[in-house]
Amino acid sequence: MSVQYPLVQVRVSEPLAPRLTFAEEVVKFVRTKPLGAAGALVVLAMLFVAVFVEALTRYDPYQGDYALQFARPSAEHWFGTDEFGRDLLTRIMYGARIALFVGFTASFAGCTLGALLGVLSAYWGGTLDLLLERLMDVLLAFPQLILALAIASILGPAVQNVVVAIAIPVIPRVARVVRATALSVKEHQYVEAVQALGASRPRVVLRHIIPNIMAPYLIMLTAQLGAAILAEAALSYLGLGTAEPTPSWGLMLSGSAASYAEKAPWIALFPGIAISLAVFGFNLFGDSLRDALDPKLRRG
Amino acid sequence: MAVRIRLHRMLFSVAALALLVVSAAVATPAVVRAAETPRRGGVLLAVIGAEPPSLDPHQESTFANIQLVAPLYSTLLQFDPHSFPKIIGDVATEWKISPDGLIYTFKIRQGIRFHDGSPLTAADVKASYDKIVFPPQGVRSSRRTAFTAIERVEAPDPGTVVFRLKFPSASLIANLASPWNVIFPKKYLDQDPNYFKTKVVGSGPFKFKSYVRGSTFEGERNPDYFVKDRPYLDGYKFFISTETSVRAAAIRSGRAYVEFRNLPGPEVEAIKKQLGDKVVVQETPVTAHWGIAVNNTVKPFNDVRVRKALTLAIDRYTASRVLYPLTGLKLVGGVMRPGSEWEMPEADLQKYPGFGKDAEKNRAEARRLLAEAGYPNGFKVVLKNRNIKLPYQDWAVFAIQEWKKIGVEAENRPLETAAWFSDGRDKGNFELMVYPPVEFMDDPDLFLGRFVTGANNNWGRMSDPRVDDLFARQARVRDPVERKQLTDEIQRIVLENAYFIPGLWWTRNLVHWAKMRNYVAPPSYYSNQKLQDVWLAED
Amino acid sequence: MRTYLAKRLLLIVPTLLGVASLVFLIMRVIPGDVALLILGGDGGNIDQAQLVAMHRELGLDQPLLVQFGTWLWGVLRFDFGTSLWTGQPVVEELLIRLPLSLELAFLATGVSVLIAIPLGMLAAARQDTWVDYVVRVISIGGLAIPSFWVGILVILLLVIYFGWGPPLEFTPPWVDPWANFQQMVWPVLTVGYRYAAVTTRMTRSTVLEVLREDYIRTAWAKGLAERVIVIRHALKNAMLPVITLIGTEFAFLIGGLVVTETVFTLNGVGRFVVDAVAHRDYPVVQALVFVIAFGFVIVNLLIDLTYAWFDPRIRYR
Repeated sequence: MSVQYPLVQVRVSEPLAPRLTFAEEVVKFVRTKPLGAAGALVVLAMLFVAVFVEALTRYDPYQGDYALQFARPSAEHWFGTDEFGRDLLTRIMYGARIALFVGFTASFAGCTLGALLGVLSAYWGGTLDLLLERLMDVLLAFPQLILALAIASILGPAVQNVVVAIAIPVIPRVARVVRATALSVKEHQYVEAVQALGASRPRVVLRHIIPNIMAPYLIMLTAQLGAAILAEAALSYLGLGTAEPTPSWGLMLSGSAASYAEKAPWIALFPGIAISLAVFGFNLFGDSLRDALDPKLRRG
Repeated sequence: MAVRIRLHRMLFSVAALALLVVSAAVATPAVVRAAETPRRGGVLLAVIGAEPPSLDPHQESTFANIQLVAPLYSTLLQFDPHSFPKIIGDVATEWKISPDGLIYTFKIRQGIRFHDGSPLTAADVKASYDKIVFPPQGVRSSRRTAFTAIERVEAPDPGTVVFRLKFPSASLIANLASPWNVIFPKKYLDQDPNYFKTKVVGSGPFKFKSYVRGSTFEGERNPDYFVKDRPYLDGYKFFISTETSVRAAAIRSGRAYVEFRNLPGPEVEAIKKQLGDKVVVQETPVTAHWGIAVNNTVKPFNDVRVRKALTLAIDRYTASRVLYPLTGLKLVGGVMRPGSEWEMPEADLQKYPGFGKDAEKNRAEARRLLAEAGYPNGFKVVLKNRNIKLPYQDWAVFAIQEWKKIGVEAENRPLETAAWFSDGRDKGNFELMVYPPVEFMDDPDLFLGRFVTGANNNWGRMSDPRVDDLFARQARVRDPVERKQLTDEIQRIVLENAYFIPGLWWTRNLVHWAKMRNYVAPPSYYSNQKLQDVWLAED
Repeated sequence: MRTYLAKRLLLIVPTLLGVASLVFLIMRVIPGDVALLILGGDGGNIDQAQLVAMHRELGLDQPLLVQFGTWLWGVLRFDFGTSLWTGQPVVEELLIRLPLSLELAFLATGVSVLIAIPLGMLAAARQDTWVDYVVRVISIGGLAIPSFWVGILVILLLVIYFGWGPPLEFTPPWVDPWANFQQMVWPVLTVGYRYAAVTTRMTRSTVLEVLREDYIRTAWAKGLAERVIVIRHALKNAMLPVITLIGTEFAFLIGGLVVTETVFTLNGVGRFVVDAVAHRDYPVVQALVFVIAFGFVIVNLLIDLTYAWFDPRIRYR
């Protein structure tokens, strides 16, 4: 006895997943991932302040008004002044510039170098892979703080050197993740297929492997952004980061801020809030970015 | 300084007297409270901000060493704990100096015993000073250069020590009172001159109890101490804590009763606010000042005009006002401490570049000098520094701002202590360097020695034969008036040529609970650490 | 399996050698001289002759390769040399500080795991709801707020409002548990918060990934209760990366908590290492870095072996 299965006509009433414009993508992002949007807002605000700080304030972050040391927040000085009479809000805004510089550069340099090494290692294989893997293992096993300390000691305190000191421990961590992802891509059958069709090595790498490691790369990038800012704060606290009178948030939080905590709590409060907010923002944004980019999660 | 304590005491005595008078007048029996009787017992808890490499004071120069071990040892002479810089005997009871100033004879007190029971005799004093002045191979002696005048040390009998000199030395007595020059038992020195780096056998008011590296250091009362009825305390205990605000918090919570070196102004304010009368703050001037060493061998700082411009630009009077609440840097003075017998009075001082009171005029002059030297638009320079926050960084921030006003762009570059010593002292690898002359007393030998050609602590590598000559002469002159004339001349030359840029002299705040009595903070935080007269009013 | 194990063990050697060489080189490249530091104290006089003598005494005048060889040879016999700063054996110095760091690491890990794993699972199971948001915000807070700042705030608040401060010296828990608690509870909570934050995020993300897997869909389709699905099926597979994280972070907890130790006056390994770097105390830094790296490598090996045990594909790579 045959069973009749009614043929179901699937009427396609809407075109399949039409391309959204950028604006529509943004709106969708904000609606579906409000936390991520909040994070993005924080990041954008920071960027805005960092770029336009000269227009936003009339105070010099370096020259203090010696008559107004430790002044309370007031109409003249919204965040009060510090121990030298320098306007705190101004210093925090200039500090955004430094934080973004350190965060972006260290994170970008470390992640990009790490990703390159990871791809290289995964794709070329053989002895190069073995050697690179050993090198990355050595760098990974080396305690991060000590590595940063040692590098900062060698190069001396300056913003550029802090970037190097923070970026170097990032490289092996990213390399490891990217290598694992690249390896799994490489072993996917479609790559074999493409190679069988005669695609050259660079083409395979560029068109197939790199797009697929973009997701972990971007995720590590945003994660390391926040971490870089915190690392700069910790190094400055230990006296090995940026030097006075640079208006970097980490430096403002160091040692004596605690001594002034009762006399002038705003000196430590606002930089602490600034750091927390920045790292918060980067992490929230990065999280949501990852959620949006992860092909597996898109289905959910 | 100690003035604050004295005032308290004076008022108290006056009040007590008034009470007595009133009571007597009323003819009722009165309880007369004279000076308080010291209470016996209790352990003094202290916090300290660093740890020494070893326990041998002959070989160390850091306050972390002397504060921990001073109560365990005795010295030949000492500074009077209640009246710095008066010198009294410790192990020595009396001394004679020969008319030509070449023979110093000391009588040693009888009946002193080391902590292991053996007697302290002149032989031990000789052995200790032999180690200091003529250290054996492989043993370092940080104060050797202070005793170059000594030819030999003799112990003709167990109660007498004789120092024979090659030439007269004006500072010998003061150096013999240095807290670093402790007396060790000869028999252990004979076994191993480095014995005392890790072990303690002294004759001080306290005996060594325990040392947990990185954490605590304890001493306990020596019942056989040669000064009768001392010490009052049962013991003392130091907690090691490197973070300043944590040490301040320890005092506030009562976990520690005293911090013997310094706490910054804002912390002191907070402590005072919270604890009020329970706490005493002794503010004393210190034999230390922060300045800037100029590398005299490097362009453009070999040009006296450039150096003068740099020192002219710094308004020290404003610096004092601004930096004092932050760092304790307060007094404007030359290269000898203002307030000491060697000071250059303010009236004289104002004649020299950088000490005039008209800041605008000074800056104009500085710009003129720079232009004359070939830098009409200023120049860029690196100011190397030590990476300790207070007061190194704050002083640098101020100086940098002042120099900006004359067109000199200075970049502050803090170095770790190791690198700071290396670049500054060892290699002379700097243009400008933040540098604090710190000594245990106001002696010209100590402070002015750094201006002598080729001296180890002549960081600026300056060389002026007049200074060399004057220095050699003042070291041997015993008449204080004549000596002052010579040292004044040295000061004038140094200031006039800006070989070194002096900054501000330091004051420190020693904070302790009021229950810790009978401690007077001296200008040097190396001195008066024996704790033999200190007592606790309650536990 | 055995060949995999053998191969991995063999690979440890070049890694450790690499670490040893790297730390040796780095320390020598940094400018600074421990002899100058010791002789220099707070800034007094230094005698050139004494400097030379001290270099000889500390063995610093030997050629670098000789110094490296001597040290390496010592390590193989578990002799890490003597500290240049104090003259005491490095092992002895380390053993003074190790118990505290171990206790802190264990307690912080324990606290954080107890909090993080349930929270992470909850957030994943309730993705994109307010529960998820709250958990994510709290956990990012733990990451974002600088831990040293939290530490100092804690101490300040305690002293301002209660006039109370934690004890300044370490008493092991078996000697005086109450004193130990008074000192350790604050750093454990501070460190634990940050650690919990990291672990929560990791747990959340791995559980999320696992929940999307096909076999979970099957479980749903079968009609299993959510709790059973999440705990019995998802958790097991999600735990592997989380355990990896805990393992690698543990090594960090031993040697990396410098600022926490400074703020809470803990005489631990982290501060000890940083001080040693500042003092250019080569043997101490080399020994500690080597030990930490060794621990890290062993932990990684154990984790990889666990992976290999569960996932046969890896063994034959």
